Amino acid sequence: MIRLEGISKSYNGRQALRAITARVERGEFLFLSGPSGAGKSTFLRLLYRAELPDSGNIEVNGSDLLRLRRREVAEFRRRLGVIFQDFKLLRRRTVAENVTFVLSLLNLSERDQQRRAYLVLKQMGLQQRTGAFPDELSGGEQQRVAIARALVLQPDLILADEPTGNLDPERSHELLELFKTINYQGTTVVVATHDRGLIAAHPARTLFLERGSVVRDGWGSAA
Amino acid sequence: MNTHSWREVRRQLRESGPAGLVAVALVTVASAWGGALWTLRGWVRSELLAQGRDTAVVAIARGPAEVASLKAALSERFPYLPSAALSPRKVQEELADWFPELSTVLLTLDERSFPPLLQVQVPHGQEAAVAAFLQARPEVTLVESSSGWQARLERAVSRFFYAGSALALALLVACCAVVLLVVRLLVLNHADEIAIMRLIGAHEGDIRRPYIVCGALLGLLGGALGAAVLLAVRAALRAALPALAIDPWLLALLPAGGAAAAAAGAALGLASLPAEP
Repeated sequence: MIRLEGISKSYNGRQALRAITARVERGEFLFLSGPSGAGKSTFLRLLYRAELPDSGNIEVNGSDLLRLRRREVAEFRRRLGVIFQDFKLLRRRTVAENVTFVLSLLNLSERDQQRRAYLVLKQMGLQQRTGAFPDELSGGEQQRVAIARALVLQPDLILADEPTGNLDPERSHELLELFKTINYQGTTVVVATHDRGLIAAHPARTLFLERGSVVRDGWGSAA
Repeated sequence: MNTHSWREVRRQLRESGPAGLVAVALVTVASAWGGALWTLRGWVRSELLAQGRDTAVVAIARGPAEVASLKAALSERFPYLPSAALSPRKVQEELADWFPELSTVLLTLDERSFPPLLQVQVPHGQEAAVAAFLQARPEVTLVESSSGWQARLERAVSRFFYAGSALALALLVACCAVVLLVVRLLVLNHADEIAIMRLIGAHEGDIRRPYIVCGALLGLLGGALGAAVLLAVRAALRAALPALAIDPWLLALLPAGGAAAAAAGAALGLASLPAEP
């Protein structure tokens, strides 16, 4: 599902990732953990091809990311559910439009888009806020919209960058339970978080990053 | 174009604001001007420069006696051509008839001030041979042909048409430039959103299409308004110029041309869109 070989990435001479080699199997649940600046977000950005590595190879969902053509990048991303740390919601579109937009890219009928969007927004407790614009929502609500947008695609792989950063503890645990449920159904889930408590409460394989290198690869927060 | 794309087009049209209205106004002026020019050209060609009809060739003779011998020579060479010899007095009267404001002055002049003429009605295509024959005659001082005047008028009309077309084209280019700027501003304002759309799997086509359609709609609206202006002008001139007719295809072409020019401007404006890494 995910294969990284000797991945390095630097920004303006500062090394963000150093020769990372890792493998995540289909249906696996993986935490990426580490302090701020450890390289978790860069790791994820490379996985959804927002960045290209300086060296090394990446394969995700059977696609060699270094060889993808521009048109194929869009197709590749449509098979991913990405939850961004800063939500990345479309500001000029309502909650419902933010969710149905990704479905419209799959050429689903208007009716199917509305139905699927409603179900996932209901799951996120946002069914009363479908007509609101992102700026009218709290941080937690925005995060839940971002999660809904990622889940509505029913992707093969979910990449989540600090998805609980703006959620209260109860919502955070609910979200992790949801990820686990989705994972049990066969979806691969990669969650970047610095919240060790969350990892302890939902133990799974964890890659611990520090200064751009994988320092531990093991089970739960003990990693 | 799905529902999302059309909603995006509506948002962009709203956001284009006064600059968008300027673009519409420019296309309106350009298309109305271009359409008027084309219509006027058609009218001049059909009404004033009609090809295929008889030409009048006029030869100015040295004196009344020469007119008679000239008429005889012409009848011998071109027996089928109707011709009329006009005495100086007849010329004086005809001129007074053509220019009633000057008739008093013209009729008080000495009739010897007017030359005797031979007027020949020549079928289309033979004016050169007839004019050459008359020119070669010793009785003739000057030969003029209505086709010569037509040719001069046609040249003048063509020059005016080309100058007018250049102006219409310049206005369309200006419209292109305004739409380019409108789209460039929209793209700048939406840079974050465009980046997000890419990250969640939108193709370049999904992103760019609404901008192109937005530009094309501005041009289409301008072209349609231009066609409406043209129709209004036609209605106002109906009494004065009843033969002035607007081609239906021209009315269809103006909005299409406006849309194409504005879409081209939008496409150029999108060139500023940064590419995916």
